[in-house]
Amino acid sequence: MLQVKRRTIFLYLLPIIVTILIINMTPILYTLYLSFTNNTEFNEAYNFVGLANYIHLFFATDSDLFYVLGLTVLYVGICVVLFVLLGTVTALALNHPRIKGTSIWMSLLLVPWAAPSAVTALIWKFLFNYDFGPINQIGRLFFGAHFGVPWLTNPVAAFAAVVIVNVWLSYPFFTVVILGALQSIPAELSEAASVDGANGWQRFWRLTFPLVSPAVMPATVLSAITTFQMFNTVYLITQGGPITNPARPGVTTFVMIYMYNEVLGATAANIHYAQVAAFAITMFVILGALTFLARALSLGGRAVQA
Amino acid sequence: MKAHDTGERIIRASISGEAVSAPGMAAGAKRIERAQARTAVARRRLLSNLPLIFIYIFLAVMTVFAIFPIYFVVQASLAGDQNLYVTTLQLLPDRPTFSNYVYAFTQLPVFNWLVNTTIVCGLATLIGVAFSMTGAYALSRFRFKGREASLSLLLALQAFPGLLAITAYYYLLSYLKLLNTAPLLGLALIYAAGDLVFGTWNIKSYFDTIPVELEEAALIDGASLREAFLRITLPLATPALVASALFMFVGGWNEFALANFILNANANGSNLTFILGLYSLQGTYHTPWGYFAATSVIISVPLMLLFVYARRYFQSGLTIGGVKG
Repeated sequence: MLQVKRRTIFLYLLPIIVTILIINMTPILYTLYLSFTNNTEFNEAYNFVGLANYIHLFFATDSDLFYVLGLTVLYVGICVVLFVLLGTVTALALNHPRIKGTSIWMSLLLVPWAAPSAVTALIWKFLFNYDFGPINQIGRLFFGAHFGVPWLTNPVAAFAAVVIVNVWLSYPFFTVVILGALQSIPAELSEAASVDGANGWQRFWRLTFPLVSPAVMPATVLSAITTFQMFNTVYLITQGGPITNPARPGVTTFVMIYMYNEVLGATAANIHYAQVAAFAITMFVILGALTFLARALSLGGRAVQA
Repeated sequence: MKAHDTGERIIRASISGEAVSAPGMAAGAKRIERAQARTAVARRRLLSNLPLIFIYIFLAVMTVFAIFPIYFVVQASLAGDQNLYVTTLQLLPDRPTFSNYVYAFTQLPVFNWLVNTTIVCGLATLIGVAFSMTGAYALSRFRFKGREASLSLLLALQAFPGLLAITAYYYLLSYLKLLNTAPLLGLALIYAAGDLVFGTWNIKSYFDTIPVELEEAALIDGASLREAFLRITLPLATPALVASALFMFVGGWNEFALANFILNANANGSNLTFILGLYSLQGTYHTPWGYFAATSVIISVPLMLLFVYARRYFQSGLTIGGVKG
């Protein structure tokens, strides 16, 4: 380590200290403060109300917290399972010793990764269009002119739609990670297992799986976190809809979309800033816990990046 | 049956140029055995080609899945508005035309969007990388009180999506008098602050892999700390710097929520960023799909070129879970 004067250390740190204090910390502290007040759109005062907003959030029957969290967790669960599954199958296929042109396949499969995700979200919305979208048009080729899945208006179809888009967007990343881990397994190990009479299935579960999972684990937790706080891809396609129960938000209203719609949504009226702030702080706690968990899981002090 | 089999193998062996009439019986049997083994290999190869065919089909399906949205929007952008409002599938425009692109560049404020977005993302990336690299250097190379705490704080901040404090940002920017006078600058500052949290972590992890002895040697030789940092450490950390910069730039290019909250569209929306403009093209009741498709392509091409260019830095510059592909 370099021995330098304290003043030098301070100078090197100054830019991030100033920026973080003003632009990162102030809004968080303000939100924390706001969550203990009764500030709303029409009540400009900041009267201290203690934990009232949190109590309302967790216990009131008209609180959407657990509904929205439940939807989000369901979404994260389905997406992450599909990421790992498709990522593994694709990586195994590409790692097959007799598959030719691995790098060409890889470049093609990585196209969704390189395209800007906000644009592709809007493109997918186009593809899901009931009348003019090519997905229903392909369906019509097989099932006749009256075929049509109401992708964006039927709750189950809309949920499936945002799962499909997220899988399309994220599974290539898993393919890269898993393929990298597969390629680092010495071929002799697999050959030795074959000689000892292990079949393909046994080789996968006893040999490949244990060797690959340490690499896949951090990626899985990481993408669970990213999916949990996903906004763009879902909002740009469904805006959180469709609504099935007038008292509740739409079925694709995941936590970040809920936050946004509460403040900026078309139906947001007399915005209860303090309650929204309590919701935000709760999400921060959840995300913070998950982040530190992800870091603990990536062994040996390896860095975790989003 | 068995005799016939053996006979066939002897014939096959003779075709492959081996003497069937061997001098000794034992040697002949050995040859037959070898030939048998070869046929077995051939049969196994045929059987093992079957899974190979399935693997190729699977890869082809996944490739179509990956490429289709991009392909479709590109062909739609060239279709004029001919066949975008039909209910049957059209995969190629009948009469390809650039009319949608002409419209996008002449009738839509695409150029303004491009400039606005480049300003916001460029500024955010510049501030993000510049501040991250000095901060990361201090966190990697110096030991001081509160270092561990700072690293934990950075990690915690990384768990805080800016969207959660959306109202606070509004007040912050109006307090800094940026909201009405220079909203793009305000937006860039917010992006930069988020970026440098990520950037400091990423670049610090990369600095940690560069031996500190290099700088120590330079310092002994009389270089100043600033020279050691700028001439030795930074050039060696190029992959991390490029990957971080790209990550920041792409992040801004895609950001919708904060931009939508902070930028108020003027009459023709020329003060927006690209993604807001593109979104505004998708109406609730009627969307001009042809213009939308052309604009989507225009917005994506610069970014994809950047991605292709910086791809070689990506695997080494982003240490995701320590895995290198």
